[in-house]
Parts: sequence; C-alpha cells; structure tokens
Amino acid sequence: MDISSLIDSLHPLEVKVLSTFGAKPSAVLQAEQLSQSTGLEPSQLSMAVEWLLAKSLLTVDTETVTPNVSLTKIGELYFEKYSPIERVLSATRDAAKTGKRLTIQDIQSREGLEPADVSGAIGRLKKEGALLIIQGGCVESTGRPSQTAETMRGLLQQLRGAPRDLKAFSKAQQQVIQDHSVKRGNAREPFRIDDRVARSLKLSTDGIEAAQQLSRQKTADEVSQLTPELLKDGSWRTKRFRKYTISLRAPRIAPGKRHPYREFLDTVKTKLVSMGFQEMRGSLVETEFWNMDALFMPQFHPARDIHDVYFVQEPTHAPSIDEPFLSRVTQAHQHGGETGSTGWNYSFNAERACRLVLRSQGTAVSAHTLAKQPDVPGKYFSIARCFRYDQVDATHATDFFQVEGIVLGDDINFRTLLGLLNLFAREVAQAKEVKFLPAYFPFTEPSVELHVRHPKLGWMELGGAGLFRPEVTLPLGVTVPVIAWGLGLDRMAMVALGIHDIRELFTDNLDLIRSTRGAV
Amino acid sequence: MPTITIFKQDLEGLLAGPGEARQLIGMEQLEESLMLVKGELKGQNPDTGELRIELQDSNRPDLWCCEGIARQIRVKRQGSLTKYDFLTTKSKSSKQLNVNPGLEGIRPYVAACAATGYRVTQEGLAQLIQTQEKLAEMFGRKRRTVSIGLYRLAAIEFPVTYDLVKPDETSFTPLGMDTVMTLGEMLLVHPKGLEFGGILAGQDRLPFLRDAKRQALSFPPIINSREVGEVLVGDDALFVEVTGTDLSMVVLTLNIFAANLADRGATIEPIEVRYPYKTPLGKSVMTPQDLGKSRKLPVGTIEQALGQPLGAQEVAKALTAYGYAVTTKSKEVRVTLPFYRQDLMHAMDVVEDVAISRGYSDFLPVMPSQFTVGGLSRIEEFSDRIRALMVGMGFQEIISNILGSPQDLRDAMRLDGTEWGKLVEVENVMSQNFSALRQWMLPSLLRVEAASNRAFYPHRLFEAGEVARPDPTQSVGSRTITLLGGMIAHADAHFSEAHSYLDTLFYYMNHTYSLEPIQHPSFLAGRIGGIVSNGIQVGVIGELHPEVLERWQISVPAVAFEIDLTELAERS
Repeated sequence: MDISSLIDSLHPLEVKVLSTFGAKPSAVLQAEQLSQSTGLEPSQLSMAVEWLLAKSLLTVDTETVTPNVSLTKIGELYFEKYSPIERVLSATRDAAKTGKRLTIQDIQSREGLEPADVSGAIGRLKKEGALLIIQGGCVESTGRPSQTAETMRGLLQQLRGAPRDLKAFSKAQQQVIQDHSVKRGNAREPFRIDDRVARSLKLSTDGIEAAQQLSRQKTADEVSQLTPELLKDGSWRTKRFRKYTISLRAPRIAPGKRHPYREFLDTVKTKLVSMGFQEMRGSLVETEFWNMDALFMPQFHPARDIHDVYFVQEPTHAPSIDEPFLSRVTQAHQHGGETGSTGWNYSFNAERACRLVLRSQGTAVSAHTLAKQPDVPGKYFSIARCFRYDQVDATHATDFFQVEGIVLGDDINFRTLLGLLNLFAREVAQAKEVKFLPAYFPFTEPSVELHVRHPKLGWMELGGAGLFRPEVTLPLGVTVPVIAWGLGLDRMAMVALGIHDIRELFTDNLDLIRSTRGAV
Repeated sequence: MPTITIFKQDLEGLLAGPGEARQLIGMEQLEESLMLVKGELKGQNPDTGELRIELQDSNRPDLWCCEGIARQIRVKRQGSLTKYDFLTTKSKSSKQLNVNPGLEGIRPYVAACAATGYRVTQEGLAQLIQTQEKLAEMFGRKRRTVSIGLYRLAAIEFPVTYDLVKPDETSFTPLGMDTVMTLGEMLLVHPKGLEFGGILAGQDRLPFLRDAKRQALSFPPIINSREVGEVLVGDDALFVEVTGTDLSMVVLTLNIFAANLADRGATIEPIEVRYPYKTPLGKSVMTPQDLGKSRKLPVGTIEQALGQPLGAQEVAKALTAYGYAVTTKSKEVRVTLPFYRQDLMHAMDVVEDVAISRGYSDFLPVMPSQFTVGGLSRIEEFSDRIRALMVGMGFQEIISNILGSPQDLRDAMRLDGTEWGKLVEVENVMSQNFSALRQWMLPSLLRVEAASNRAFYPHRLFEAGEVARPDPTQSVGSRTITLLGGMIAHADAHFSEAHSYLDTLFYYMNHTYSLEPIQHPSFLAGRIGGIVSNGIQVGVIGELHPEVLERWQISVPAVAFEIDLTELAERS
C-alpha cells in the first residue's frame, strides 16, 4: 500500500498520534509525553500506538520494564477498615487498658477476621515484640509499636488511587509490600506488583513521510457526518471526511413489497391483458346452477357430490334462477332442448339448481359472462378463488386460485384452440415445445390437455381447454363457437417462489414472505 | 375419474386376440396409444408388468378395463371393429330370465348372458372383479342405477327368475359369511348390506335372483350367494347379470361385459329377459343387444368444428378406425357407435372422435386472428393502485385463505352475536379450520402477526382481497366485496400512526372522509373510528383490543384499518 492510501485508511486516533510527531519527525517520545501532547486517554493512546506499530509507521526506540505497585480490592478495604495487623494490635491495646484477658478466638470472633489473617498478624506482631503470647492462649500488648502496622498504614494511604514505581519506596516499605502482595496461591493481599513497560517511540521512515504528508494536508478537522451546517457555511471545504469500512454487513431493513405469489399472479394477469383478454369477476358463493348445471354437468355427476363441493349452511337456496336460462338449461339436460343434443335423459331438479355452494370452479365465472351477451369476437379471463372439499396436504389446498377464461368468435375451431394454447405455452411458460393430449371435461368437446416443456421443470401439464359444448353455449344465448381454457399455474408459482408445499403459497410466516425473492 | 390396474402382458395378449401370440408393446408406444383412450400412465412396476392407468372420460365406461383399452387400440391398428356375432343371432335363446311383477317400482331392469369356453385366468379374474367394481361404483352411481353379478354357470338351472320377496322369508349364505341369513339380516349385518342398503331403504319387499330349482343366486344390488356367486380361477362357464333402474345403462353394462369376455375367447350366449310390464325395449328383451342408433351428420359440420377440410372419405376412415360403423354420401356421413358405447349426445362428440382417431398432432395450430381489446375490471385496477400505494408506504403484502374458521373470524375478534360477526358458513364441514368465508380482513392479518413474533419489528402488513358479507338482499345470500386491510404492530404502535397512512390513502384516492366514534368489540373503546365517506361507512380504524391480541397470542400492540374498495371503486 502506498503512503497516501495508507493515510486515507488511518483512524482519527492514529492521525492524532502521527500529527504529534509531525512538528519534530525525528523525535523520540515517551508514552506520557504523547499522552499529554495528544490529549488522548491512555487506553485510546495505547490502541492507536498498537495500530501504528502494526502498520510499521511507528517503531519502539527503547523499552524499560518497571515494577509498579497498586492497591488491590483488599487493599482498598484495608484502607477503610484497617488491616488485620492493625486491628489485632489495637484489640490487644484496648484489652491492656481494661485489664481483660484476650484469647486468639476472642479476637477472631470480635473482629470477624479469618483465622489465617489473625494468626499471620499475631505472628508478625510477636516477632516485632509488639505483643506476647501468654498462658491459656491469651495475647497481651507489650506497649511497643509495630513497624509493619505503621508502614502498612502509610502505604495504604500513599497508594490509594495512585499506583507507583516500587523503586520509589524505602527498603523497609518495599519489604512490607513484597510480604503483602498478591502472589500465586495467595490472592487475599492488599498490594499488587505489575511490570510496567515504558516505551519510547519514534517514527519509522514511512512514518516520517506519512507525518509530513499529513501536515501538508493542512490540519483539516475530520468529521464523520456531513451536516446541513457544514454545507450552509461552506466549512466542509476544510473538513476531512472519515472513510468508512464499507465491507461491513449492511443492517437489515424490511421494505414495502408485494407478496411473491401475488406478484406472480400479477405477471400472469398482465400477460393475459396484453394478449387481448378482458377480466371477469364473480361471486364466491354460487348457485349450483351457475357452478355446474349451466356447464352441462348432470346433477348426478360424481364431482357434484357432497364430498367434492362445499354447501352453504344459511341460506341454503337462492330464491330463483334467472329465466330464460333455467328453462333452457333444464331442457338441455333432459332431452337436449334446441341444442341438437340428446341430453342426459333424466329429470332435472330445479330446486337443486338453486342450492348455494362455494364456487368450485372458475368456469362458473365464464358461464355468467356467456349469459350476459359477451363481445363477439371476445376474449375473457378470470383469476378466481375456488374451493374444493379436499383433505389439505402438500399438493392439495382447499382454497386456491384458478386462472381460466373463454374466447368467442366465428373463427374459433379445434385448430384455433390449439393455436391459442400454443400462445399460452410461449407467453406464460416460455415453452417452445408443446404436446396436445385428448382430455375429458364435462363441458367441452373436443377437449385438450396442454403439456409443455418448461425451461426449468421439463414436461408438465400447463392447462386444459376445449370448445364449449353447444349444450353449454346455446342455452346461455351464445351462437358462435367458444373456447374454454384453464391454466394450472400453481406448480410454476411454487418453482418461482422456491417452495415445495402448496400451503406455503398462503404462508403466515412473515420472515419467509419478507425474504422470498419471487420470480425475477 | 377411475384409475385402474392392469398387467402389460395381459394387455399384449388382448391386443393379439385369443389363441394368438402376444403383441408386444413398448412403453413409449403404450403412452402414445393411451391417447386413444384419454388414459394417463400413473405408475408402473417393470418387474410384475403392473400398470396403473387413469382413464379421464367419465362417459366411456367401456374403457375402464384392460379389455376396453386393448380393444380401442386394436380397432385403430386394424382400421375397423371386428364383428361380434352374438349381436346378430336372431334365433330364440335357449335360456330365459323371467321378471316377476312388482319390480317396476324398485329396480325394474335386468340383463344377462352366459359365457362359455374361456377358462378364467388369474389376470382375467382380477380384471372381471375390477370392472365389476368400477362400473357399479362410478357408472352405476355406487350400485344405485347399475350393479353387476358374476356366477358359475354350471350350478344354475334355467329359467332364472328375478323375483320380489319379503325380507324375512328368503335366506341364503352370502359371500363373505358362513351362515344362512335372511335378506333382512343381510341389510343389518353384512358389510355390503350396511354399505349399500340405503338403495333399498323403505322397501317392504326386496329384489332376489333365483334359478329354476329355487336356488339363490343373489340379493341385488347387495350381495351374491356364496354357493353359485363366487367365480374362481379355472372356471370356464360364467353367468353374468346386471340389474338397475335405467334399461339402456343396464344393457350397456352387460354389453361391455359380453365384449370383454368375447375378447378373451368366450362364446357369448344371449339370454331372453321376459318382463310382465312394459319397458322401453318391449316385454321381451334379448341381451346383450346393440342399442346403437345411426346418426346423420353433414361433413361440413365436422370440418368446420375441426377447422380442417377432410372430405367424407377421410372422416369415415377415421371413425371406422375408432370403432364406429359408418356409411357415406357425398357430403354426409351416417354413423353408429359400437354396441359397448352410448355416449353420443351431440355431433361434437363425433368431432372429437375424428380428432382423436387421426391424432391431435395431425392438426396444425392456427392463431385466432380476430382483434380484441384486453383490460382489467374496474375493481382490479383500483385495487392494484391501492396496493401500489401500500407498498410505497412500506407495507408488506400478504395473501391468505378466504376459507377460515368461525373461531378466528368471529370469536377471537370478540364479535360473537354481533352484526360484525355474521358469516357465510359451510354446511358439510370437513375441518373447523375451513368452515366459513372471511367476512373481513383483519383476522387474515392477525394470522400472520400471530405466527411472526420472531420477525423483526416494526411489522406493517396489508392484504387486498375478497371477502363474503351475508346480505339477504342478494339472491346468493351474500355479497363478494374487495377489502383492503392494513395493520401495524410494534412496541409503540399507535392510533395516529395508522391514521396517517389512512389519511394518505384517501388523499391519493381523491375521496374525503371523516372518522366517527363507533362501538366495535375488536378494538379499544374510544380508540376506534368508523371511516365515513360520502355519508357511508366504508371501513374502520382503531387499536386492537388487548383481549383480541391475547386470544391470538400476540404480545405487541397492533393498530389496523380496513376499507371497502368495492364501494370506493364504484364511486370514482
């Protein structure tokens, strides 16, 4: 890294230290001197020095190790409440005044001291001749002073809040400190001796160059944030903007976003509109008439069973079905009416036609459109919520979208039906290869299943379609041929969303919804 | 529609015909051929040759068996259907089946035949039983309109009688039991009696089949006799009968069985059924019988529907190769379905058979060329615009089931017994979780909130979608409307925060509104407003009641609003 880009990457603390040298590039400075001239806290300074050493901008000139004495927590405590040796001594002196006999146990219990502390103190005091041990385990003051106790008091006072070089103390003091400092195996002592490294520092060759460059960059104040004030008074010109570490991970945000499945359906919707389809809407609750009868599904059809369709509890029936549709559909079912069909040859139950159900197929929406004098030529679609009486599992939902519609026109026939499906394959599934298979739907003849080779999924069924039976169109007043088509897009949606369970299309997991990218 | 199990080697035998070497068929070729029967291969076991095939066409019961599939493929390969000579024997049958009076009100029709000379194999028996079950279940509407019985012919002395008897005066040992029981007992005890007894509910006399020695054959449509009504591998003489409520369906079902057994090499002997009452086919009905009526079609109708000029000869060729009998005049074909089919309702059915016989790949796709203008409905356009605004304001869209539970939609919202809590409920409930249509949007939002306490806050959710509101003025008893629901949940969620978003929405919708204090149990009293626009309440906004949050186990405050997009869209 060259010097100028190295300078750009410096932390403000490092800059401060380098600038301190700037005036005298060849100076050798002690840490204390640096601390004074930079005005940095010792911890900040030592961080900056370590960084600069690591970058080889700074080198150590000399390094001296000095033992440094400080008070431990115990030492602080002794300062306030006196050390065991002071307390034992004063206890024996008090006893001497009153003439009471004092046992070692008495001292322990009265002073609340540890036995080891008490016996240590007594041993030291006896050695100094400040007390005697007499018969019966009693201790007695000799009236003489204790050198140790006095030195201890002095040291506790001197060292409180101000650690010092061990060598600054007298020999006797040093001895007391050594005897009462924390050592391995004995942590309950008032003093601690640490080796203190004092370094004198100087700039390396690179450091000198960096310091000179820094001084040339004027002594711009560094700021972290551009503010309206800086802009207003133009002072940004003299500021240096701290460079960020841009490799850090960005904090997470939750944007406003469409639901990925809805986004997928929106795309489908847009495609259909672009192909000339007009949207249809319908009711979630339907009569069996529009849901099935109008689609020439006989009333005994297995798909109309109680195990396939949800029936409404209240009200159970619509009051009536609009004429002339009821009569015409009834005739078509029974004997074909005027549709050229033989019909299903059973007696049509008009009350059954009024039974209310939850819409079970999107084709119900198309049936309504056929009955409302649709445009000819005309193209219609709906993305309709439908309900099936199904056990819910990874591939079955009880509540799902059907994408379906119709195409009306004089030019509609089997080949234009295939042409339309080709268009869907290309536009909706981006598939170039298609297969048309014979299929069966109660309301279309001929019927086709559209299979496509999806770029990701391979061969898959994309949809079903056919020409509406005349038994469907004629009773609803439509005399031109009509294509009915439906697309099964859930599998494509699941691939686009990266999920394997159809229930996850309607997931309640906000994290999943937020993090799903959707179709790109 | 039915999914059946067949064996590849059985199919190959049937493709060749009885006594011939099997006609091997590759899997690719098989899948291609399945297009002729609208069949889809659902599974296979290469070791045993087992194939599982779904047949789509619910109007083609003749295809729901190995024999039927093989027949359709064979006809196509041969170019026409081989004659079945039992249909043309005009001479009187040596065997009769007499129907006794009284059955016309219960289960009026019966058809029967004898089949000899085919020794039943393991695979053949499995097919017979599967066909019997599938036809009775799906074509016979769970035996109501059609049921089938198979018997060992040798044990039966003709004439057979289709009788009407009292439940407690007739008894025999039914299949699956060791002891003699009366018909009444069978209805009460036998598994099939329990399953199908409903068909005969309320009858004081029951159908009963017996032979000339008064030996019991069966109690249709419930169960066969154990003595003569159990066909075993190795039997080479069978008696087949079909009873039911629709004569043409009964005859068709027998025709299918006769064709199937004949295809396996049996000689079919028709039986004359004598009725004491009138039937659509007279009082004496020979079964099996070809009921096909010819139908005249202009070739132009077919060509127009297919979008392809073919000419009468090509149409005739295609239909003949699909099993039809066809005669042509210059611009007209006269077609008759084979005796095992009855599904010709409309000329369009013939059109499809022409297309299938030629193969769909024979038709070149053509784009519909007429110009149409595409577009969205007013409500969808409006709702899309509102959704874009919500996204722009930082809300995450969600999407939910419309079918939910009354507990979530009403009870957990403290709406039980209120006008707000009225629901469109399902009568045939499968699961309480899916038993009512949502009447408002907030439970859908709470559903996500309740599951997402680990997702970082704040949560801003919305959904625009359909709900159903009970409405007696509508013929379907409810109105489907599109609502927008928005919800904010975080530690400091507050009424005014939601109010700001609502206010912004109304600004861009270019509608004015005011908030009026209302009572709504889902919200904290005094922190709930009705959103009134143009004198109509179009929504609510408020802080959700702590008890509601507690019921949903939500541990942060939530504020929400809901507006009726249908009402607002119609207005602008």
